[in-house]
Amino acid sequence: MKRPKLFRWRAIVPLGVMIALMGLVWWLLLDRIVELGIEETGAYLVGARVDLERADVRLRDGTVALRGLQVTNPNAPMQNLFEAEEIVADVRWRPLLEQKVAVDTVAVRGMRFGTPRQESGELENPSPQSGMVAREVVAWAEAVRVPPFSLEGLGRVVDVAALDPDSLRTVGEARALAARAGAVRATWDQALAALDPQPHIDSARALVQRLEDTDVRGLDIIRATRLAGEVRQTLSDLGTLGEGVEVLSRTAQANLGDVQGGLGALVVARQADYAYARGLLELPSLDAPDLSPAIFGDAAVAWVEPVLYWLRLAEQYLPPGIDPRRYRGPDRPRRAGTTVEFPDAVSGPRFVLEFAELGLELAGEGMAAGAYLARVTGLTSDPALYGKPLEFVARRSDAAVGPSDVSVRALLNHVAAPVVDSLDVGLAGIELPSLDLDVLGARLVMGRGTTDLQLARTGDVLSARWSWHAPRATWERLAGPDGGDRGARAAQIGTREWAEELLWRTVSGLRDVRIEVGLSGAVQEPVLTVRSNVGQVVAGNLQRELGQEVERAERRARAQVDALVNDELGRARRSVNGLEAQYREEIEGALVALAAVREELEQEVERLGGRLPGGLRIP
Amino acid sequence: MFTLLKLFQSFVRALHSDGTPRQVAAGVALGAALGLTPLMSLHNLLIVAAIFLLRVSVPGAILGWLVMLPVGFLLDPLFDAVGSALLIDTGGLQPVWTAIYNTPVLSLSKVNNTVVLGSVVGWVALAFPIYFLARAGVRAYRATLGPRIERSRVVRAVRATKLYNFYRLFQP
Repeated sequence: MKRPKLFRWRAIVPLGVMIALMGLVWWLLLDRIVELGIEETGAYLVGARVDLERADVRLRDGTVALRGLQVTNPNAPMQNLFEAEEIVADVRWRPLLEQKVAVDTVAVRGMRFGTPRQESGELENPSPQSGMVAREVVAWAEAVRVPPFSLEGLGRVVDVAALDPDSLRTVGEARALAARAGAVRATWDQALAALDPQPHIDSARALVQRLEDTDVRGLDIIRATRLAGEVRQTLSDLGTLGEGVEVLSRTAQANLGDVQGGLGALVVARQADYAYARGLLELPSLDAPDLSPAIFGDAAVAWVEPVLYWLRLAEQYLPPGIDPRRYRGPDRPRRAGTTVEFPDAVSGPRFVLEFAELGLELAGEGMAAGAYLARVTGLTSDPALYGKPLEFVARRSDAAVGPSDVSVRALLNHVAAPVVDSLDVGLAGIELPSLDLDVLGARLVMGRGTTDLQLARTGDVLSARWSWHAPRATWERLAGPDGGDRGARAAQIGTREWAEELLWRTVSGLRDVRIEVGLSGAVQEPVLTVRSNVGQVVAGNLQRELGQEVERAERRARAQVDALVNDELGRARRSVNGLEAQYREEIEGALVALAAVREELEQEVERLGGRLPGGLRIP
Repeated sequence: MFTLLKLFQSFVRALHSDGTPRQVAAGVALGAALGLTPLMSLHNLLIVAAIFLLRVSVPGAILGWLVMLPVGFLLDPLFDAVGSALLIDTGGLQPVWTAIYNTPVLSLSKVNNTVVLGSVVGWVALAFPIYFLARAGVRAYRATLGPRIERSRVVRAVRATKLYNFYRLFQP
């Protein structure tokens, strides 16, 4: 039987043609493949649509030109995070054979931030991982508690029914204390009944009386012996009884201290109830450190959100070390799985951008609108392999509009753990943003001013300070809820309108505005602090003019709490006082009586000492 | 419907090809790789080249691909688990993966993906059982049902067409 040949030589040509065709298709579709790859990868990273108008790959020149890149702001789908007219990159091709991208230089032209989009950039089905950083930052921002600042409680009469006695700590604790005092009293009664000291005391007194009345020299030996025995027995009984009462006294003192401590706790509970009742009234806090977050908290959160976003993004995609890294696999009909990258100390990074020059343009008439020139060096996915930190420097390139002085410098050292990031931004002569401050019923038009941001991060610990200074700020009155001018209505003292009028009078004359936002603590959930001279001035004026109203409302709240808790509090106090009286009368009294009668008996024994017939001795 | 028709055609072609049962079974085993593993992978280019260059049954390979395609989808969770065990959980293999990941061309094989690696390993493990099962199946078919179908008028009519001559170019 003829053995079939192993190779089908005739198929080499068709196979070659097929491979050539595949290569041709790949070459023809390369631009589109790159375009789709950038759009998909970008959407995965950002969590919102990334649109690229066109990609132009020139294999011979080793360049990739991207035109019309738009990256949607994940928090505002109708706005671009940034867009770039043209990005031209010089790419090294050999690393591509290792699925690595090494870019020598990048030139970015026409980069603008915050531009509007024509259609929503929201993803229909975002993967759980895509935009995770953005979601975490938004979650942090939503969790930041901006203290409420409401004046509505001022004009409101305290609603008696609004306070449920059972919701007050004092009532519950007073009831528990009274019950505890009752239980202690029962225990004492039981112990005293078991000891029953009074008959013993009476009996001892009777014996003392008898000794006083008896002429012991006239007693015969039998009666003298009986008397001596009786005295000994009584002294012994008194001793035993005294010890028992002493033990009871010590226990009772501890019990008494405990319930008296409960009375002290009731004072604390009442203070807590006052605070609770005051909280129901929604009275404003008039302390300056509290007012600044209430006034500028929302704006501060919006300011620091992008800073945290980029910081976290850098943390996620520029990790230190060369440990394997896991990512979700590519989207395909089959399961995506997990793609694991294995950086190697001797190989190059998966992505590296040696040098990029960016022409930035901040759109509109915003605070930093204008043209900038920025340089990035050492942007890499594997800083440990690259061995140098990422450096970003930006300066003003066109002074026609926008800031007069710009200084931006960022250094991200992720070469080894812990990561060390620093950011220093200084902008002078810029148009600062206008803020609608609903709590004040006014819009703050900050006008031209300066802003400085200093940020330092070491490992997970973040420390940042962002200050804003508007030396010639102006204020505009916001329309009221009914659309009318708030000031147009006649304001009655103590009403909300009156308080708002007062706020307007306070801030409308304020020209020099300083705001300082601080971030500190863990980078995942930093603590936000806000300080401003506006908060201080508002608090000062409110304290002067509103203080009386606030105090009156607080007094009403306190009176309401008192009315609800006084009965229970009185009952608890009476129980404790009764217990104290019982201790004094019955336990301490018994101890005193026992000691007195014992002393009297011992004095009698002393007096009779040596006079009993037969040389009998009483101990 | 079209897929079912293609499946049927591939099945008939493989069973009736002039190739030996071994060649048909080898084609099925190689084609199974295309079905069991994600198609757009570097190793599948090599598999296709092997199907073309080696004297294995091309219809058998297509049959193996089409039959194993749904099986691949069904086994994806298992492949993912196997891949995870090898790529992530077995620390001893890390130098191997690091070397592959950082070697030019080899790194394009995408075996650093759990599903790709798990399915390739799954195919390697199943290739020989598939081969032996397919060979036994073809032998049994040709001994019983095959001759009757060969003599049928429909088959004779198809063989008379020019299209069949072109198809013969790819016969073993």
